[in-house]
Amino acid sequence: MIIFEKVSKIYPPDFTALSDVDLIIEEGEFISIVGQTGAGKSTLLKLIYAEEQPTSGRVYFKNRPIDGIKRRLLPYFRRNIGTVFQDFKLLPNKTVFENVAYALEVAGDTNEEIASKVPKVLEIVGISRKSNAYPVQLSGGEKQKVSLARALVHHPSVLIADEPTGNLDPISAAEIVDLLLKINGLGTTVILATHNKNIVDKINRRVITVDCGKIVRDQKKGKYLI
Amino acid sequence: MKKIKLKRTIREGCVNFYRNGWLSVATVIILATSLFIISMTVLIGITGKFVLKNIEEKVSVAVYFNPDVGEEEIFDIKSKLEKFTEIKSVNYISREQALSELNELEKDNSSIRQALEEIGENPLLASLVINASKTEYYDIISKAIANSNFSDRISRINYEQNKVIIERLANIITLVEKVGLALGVMFVFLAVLITFNTIRITIYSHRQEFEVMRLVGASNIYVEMPFVVEGVLYGISAGFISLAMIFLTAKYISVITYKVIFQGGLMDYYLGHFWIIAGILLVSGMALGVVSSFIAIRKYLKV
Repeated sequence: MIIFEKVSKIYPPDFTALSDVDLIIEEGEFISIVGQTGAGKSTLLKLIYAEEQPTSGRVYFKNRPIDGIKRRLLPYFRRNIGTVFQDFKLLPNKTVFENVAYALEVAGDTNEEIASKVPKVLEIVGISRKSNAYPVQLSGGEKQKVSLARALVHHPSVLIADEPTGNLDPISAAEIVDLLLKINGLGTTVILATHNKNIVDKINRRVITVDCGKIVRDQKKGKYLI
Repeated sequence: MKKIKLKRTIREGCVNFYRNGWLSVATVIILATSLFIISMTVLIGITGKFVLKNIEEKVSVAVYFNPDVGEEEIFDIKSKLEKFTEIKSVNYISREQALSELNELEKDNSSIRQALEEIGENPLLASLVINASKTEYYDIISKAIANSNFSDRISRINYEQNKVIIERLANIITLVEKVGLALGVMFVFLAVLITFNTIRITIYSHRQEFEVMRLVGASNIYVEMPFVVEGVLYGISAGFISLAMIFLTAKYISVITYKVIFQGGLMDYYLGHFWIIAGILLVSGMALGVVSSFIAIRKYLKV
């Protein structure tokens, strides 16, 4: 589904974030990408949702090259991918419902579709009762649930989670991981970047270890081994 | 852009305008103040010119003829003078008319009436009152008359005694025009700059949201449109507020200007041109708002 072919990324003037990376991610997989801060995890993810372009090599999404995608086409491509971040990235002036609905509005879904899909996804992540609250009125765990709901509402084929538990207490973090597993169980490919050992060990799925811009380990059912 | 998306972005712009609360209020106040300053510069300029024009119209040169010059001859001279483009109008004041005007003017002044009665006959001279089309022409006109072939018919020209006032007025008019233009240009420039920067700061405070919007698949135009709509709302609100501010100021200033000029002032001008002023304010407010929003957002969207 996602293929990296000898991908390197060098940030000017000469910082090598990724070097000669080859990687194949199959549909329906749950992948944990682990590594220290600055190892290249986030760059790897950014190349998937085309926020960054590789300096050399190619990245394919569903057999189509996405390196060098035109900015004009980027929004349409992004609608295939859901993203969740450590800092939640919610729109502060919108309620929980509106934040989630926004992902459908930009894609041109009808009001009826939005009215039916949003409550369902809020129910799945367990945040229905806070539907009319603003982000500032939510706890970290609740914010991440909203962010997750927004990432899922348009049924993306891939969910990218970049340190989604980084700002959360252990209980909230466990809840988010359970949700990620549940989402993966429904058929969505999940790519999780983290340096939380407990989480990776608990998930017990494929683990890719990145160090100094290279993939140093790729285990089918792995543990956090740094 | 699909109709449904267009509707959504317009709604979103309106909701943002409302939810931004004090940020919207502050932006509108600054935009309104800018529009107010620009309009007042223009309106005060217009009133100033109006006041000066009024005074200018009251300035004239009178040519007094010797008592032996007949009315027919004066009319002949009058028609000759009227042919000059520099001269706007020439009015004949007969001796009788001059006397009755003097009587009317000095009806409470007993010493003048007494003096007139003692003389027994009308001591006043017939005259032609000349209005020039421009203040600076008075000098040329009076010289031309003094050197004309009918100069021996003339008793005196009152130009010399008015000369200083007339010249000073001409200088004031030129100065007011120049200073007014320079100040106007400066105020307009400042107002546009302040408005643009205020809207830019407003948008700057939202810059992180653009990234989020694009991440969830919003196209550039979908991100831009609500801000442009907000710009329109800033403009409309500021237009109405500045219109009200001008009304109050004009009302206050008119009280002063009425003392100088009797046939109209700032308030009359405001009311007389209300729809044009309202139209210009609303359109320029919206244009300022939209253009500032558009330029600022393009900067942060990196397109």
